[in-house]
Amino acid sequence: MSAVVHTPGMPTAVPASRRPRALLRPARIGVYAFLFVSAAFFLLPLYVMLITSVKPMEEIRLGNIFSLPMKMTLEPWAQAWFTVCTGLQCEGIRGGFWNSVSIVVPSTIVSIFFGALNGYALSFWRPRFGNGMFLVLLMGAFVPYQVVMFPLVRAFATMSLFGTLPGIVLIHTIFGMPVMTLLFRNYYSTVPRELFMAARIDGGGFWRIFMQLMLPMSLPIIVVAVIMQVTGIWNDFILGLVFAGREHLPMTVQLNNVINTTTGERLYNVNMAATLLTSLVPLVIYLVSGRWFVRGIAAGAVKG
Amino acid sequence: MRQPTAIVLGIALAFGAAAVQAQQNRAEVIHWWTSGGESAAVKELANAYKAAGGTWVDSAIAGGEAARSTAINRIVGGTPSTAAQFNTSKQFHDVIDAGLLNNVDEVAQKNNWDKILPAPILNAIKVKGHFYAVPVNIHMPAWFWYSKSAFAKAGIAAEPKTADEFFADLDKLKAAGVVPLAQGGQPWQEKILFDAWLAHTGGSELYLKVYRDRDAGAVNSPAFKKVLVSFKRLKTYIDAGSPGRNWNDATAMLITGKAGVQIMGDWAKGEFQAANQTAGKEYGCFPGFGPKSPYIIAGDVFVFPKTTDPAQIKSQHLLADTFTSPATQVAFNNKKGSIPIRTDVDSKGMDICAQTGLQVMKDPSRQLPNPEMLVSPDVAGVLQDIVTKYWNTNQSADDAVKAIALAIKG
Amino acid sequence: MPPTRRGRGLRHAAAYAALLPMAATVLLAYLGTVAWSVRVSVSSSRTLPIGDFVGFSQYTRLFASERWMLSLENMALFGALFIVGCMVIGFLLAVFIDQRVKGEGVLRTVFLYPYAMSFVATGLVWQWLLNPELGLQSTIRSLGFPNFTFDWIVRQDMVMFAIAIAAVWQASGLVMALMLAGLRGIDDSLWKAARIDGIPTWRVYLSIVLPMLGASIGTALVLLSVGVVKVFDVVVAMTQGGPGLASEVPAKFIIDNLFGRANIGLASAASTVLLVTVLAVLAPWLYSRQRSSRQAGAHS
Repeated sequence: MSAVVHTPGMPTAVPASRRPRALLRPARIGVYAFLFVSAAFFLLPLYVMLITSVKPMEEIRLGNIFSLPMKMTLEPWAQAWFTVCTGLQCEGIRGGFWNSVSIVVPSTIVSIFFGALNGYALSFWRPRFGNGMFLVLLMGAFVPYQVVMFPLVRAFATMSLFGTLPGIVLIHTIFGMPVMTLLFRNYYSTVPRELFMAARIDGGGFWRIFMQLMLPMSLPIIVVAVIMQVTGIWNDFILGLVFAGREHLPMTVQLNNVINTTTGERLYNVNMAATLLTSLVPLVIYLVSGRWFVRGIAAGAVKG
Repeated sequence: MRQPTAIVLGIALAFGAAAVQAQQNRAEVIHWWTSGGESAAVKELANAYKAAGGTWVDSAIAGGEAARSTAINRIVGGTPSTAAQFNTSKQFHDVIDAGLLNNVDEVAQKNNWDKILPAPILNAIKVKGHFYAVPVNIHMPAWFWYSKSAFAKAGIAAEPKTADEFFADLDKLKAAGVVPLAQGGQPWQEKILFDAWLAHTGGSELYLKVYRDRDAGAVNSPAFKKVLVSFKRLKTYIDAGSPGRNWNDATAMLITGKAGVQIMGDWAKGEFQAANQTAGKEYGCFPGFGPKSPYIIAGDVFVFPKTTDPAQIKSQHLLADTFTSPATQVAFNNKKGSIPIRTDVDSKGMDICAQTGLQVMKDPSRQLPNPEMLVSPDVAGVLQDIVTKYWNTNQSADDAVKAIALAIKG
Repeated sequence: MPPTRRGRGLRHAAAYAALLPMAATVLLAYLGTVAWSVRVSVSSSRTLPIGDFVGFSQYTRLFASERWMLSLENMALFGALFIVGCMVIGFLLAVFIDQRVKGEGVLRTVFLYPYAMSFVATGLVWQWLLNPELGLQSTIRSLGFPNFTFDWIVRQDMVMFAIAIAAVWQASGLVMALMLAGLRGIDDSLWKAARIDGIPTWRVYLSIVLPMLGASIGTALVLLSVGVVKVFDVVVAMTQGGPGLASEVPAKFIIDNLFGRANIGLASAASTVLLVTVLAVLAPWLYSRQRSSRQAGAHS
């Protein structure tokens, strides 16, 4: 299936992506036009969120969602972070920030590790029942976890993990396993088997091949996995609420308290500011991850 | 060497005692009051509890369902809170049946709950002769709110006293270019509207026959069908942007004078307050048509998860005791927008809508339990589905009658 | 010399040991809990599980429920719109970004940021945008097009389309990221060879690149399918299942019955039916994909 041309002696992966020579003018314009229109569609809600977050409530009540603020104010942002009420305390949403961090970091690392491990073992070592297990795991991804909350709560309580930090990390690993395993398994299926065989012939064992060959090669997919896990776990509400315990409640609980008040007044400007603040962490991860979306890493390793 | 040792010992003892004091009567309370106004209200409860010698540990989770399911998950997981908020309803009766709640009969006896609490509330909190919940407020979901400027614009001089007058006023509002009825298009709001309409135009008798007695005959009666038809007529007075709208956005339409009337619970006062409007000045309120209109009772209670730890039980009793004292009731309900559970309180600090409500509550014949107190959450949910479908589609009143008759049997 | 198929796989003890956590998860956390929920679905459990046995009455009630049947229809419609929309837009975005455009980092973040935000607030914004009184319809009308209509979100027949728009907005960025990771794994020399052969770019993409992205496409499809089956947040935030019952979806039906209606028996029955439906649709496809990839992987 390979249309790849191996030219011996050629240096590996030319870093600056050598695309087909500059496309004809109209095609190039077409590319930029498409991207520009798409960007406008994607940015429209952000625009509404931003200007709503700097308007006072009197203006918001008038209902003109696109109009620029007549009296711009950064007060909602300060309120969201420092003073909005989330129950008895009125200290903004910052309270849960470090809790969220202490949940997201280990959960991401552990769930990605197991996803990569599973994908690697399933893809290259092909143990018996491996594919059957994988299918069952994937099916499990379709079950809404609220339905199976009770038995999990009971099981965790018996293991003394209910309401603890290790408990919530374990929960995120469990619920992240189907997708993470899928990501890595499918990614490794595109890696030519000769590579693996060559490594085995060279005397590599299970763990050595994993740590020294496959993991470094998986950088692009690890980036995608990090994006998915950080986003999913950072924005998770229900699992953190139930399993993290009162001392480790993530920031999403405070965010929910601000936005979803039942009979209280809704300050839309503060809600928007709070949502934007909460989403800054995943956004920073996206920005930073760009460095690793470079071409040639996998390709170079293949040739080598 | 004696002196320093004694001093150190003394300090240690003092610290120890302080530590014990600080955690005395520790009570973790799960509730869903998180916004500015709600937070101020729950602060009154916490302060009262602290003043009575307790330590309040707050676990606020917005969204009634999220909070209640958290409370139950904590019970199932073996780390229950000291108290948890529910509505005055049948929501917690399953938990009682499973034997997972403590009762507060002692506190009820001591404070004479049988005498001072209204009958509908007693029926909700007293199961098999034991008191399992402490009520903290009475909300009324069927108030009529109106914007004074909109009424002035439409030339409406007085509040309507009958349903016909009400429709005439809605027509006047429409003619004046104002949205007559501000409605939020969400299923629970449509259900509140329907229940309000059933109580105010169908009457308490019909209402109770349907919800309390589950009488299919009452549902099939011409009177009930008339209620359904006139209920649907209300839809001709709302605007096109109604579907999906939040309740407070509908109130905002009144605040800005864009709409005339909203039928909503007394928590709407919080929105008016946040916009610096006062009852009787920029907006008005009336609890129904005429001087004998029914007053639908809803509200919040706290239940106490089962525990045998004597310190926790003491905290639970102290909570129940504090919550129902007259002073706490007034302080809490003034901030919450609801009215106290007992009528023997000082109504001076309350706004005119709350004072009206308190007056009405003194007449037991006007008290009407809300549907959640009379039917299970499941049946209430099915009825909500039926009402929202009827409101939003072209379903005929006859089909709706059939569906409702079937549902209340469940 | 590339070896031929090595039989059923190398039986190395380390591989089995490494997969023990996965096996434990599958058996206990997934199979075990699903079995529990199936047991609950044949009982009369309300708020808490009860150990009685009521046969299939929950299932009968389920299928007699208009709301449930409508939710299945909506899920099918939404699924088609969502998957096609995300795959097409995600693929196109990835391809165009890959053309060495300036400001790639910024563009990538622009298309990915919706994924970073939970739907609770962004759903409200979309509700405003699509609301005829507040959003696009009234704005464009005020710009001088008095007959412009865009009120899908308040119409029973079009509300799922409105929801699909918001959902595609949120998820296409992730599909783009997946496709981009796959594209970046394609060797440079492919392009050189194609250029030497004189094949037009679009044909290269269609006939050569697309097949090579098989794994990424497969991953994206599964992820999107999971999103379709579990769609909940966007519906609750945008329409609360309305107008009326028109935008009801299975996950919302299940969660409403679990918590609000205190009927875990019915919710478990619904969840079981949902799982069986998914199994019936996806398992054959997954199995066949897996067999073909195993064959392909064996002799590449």
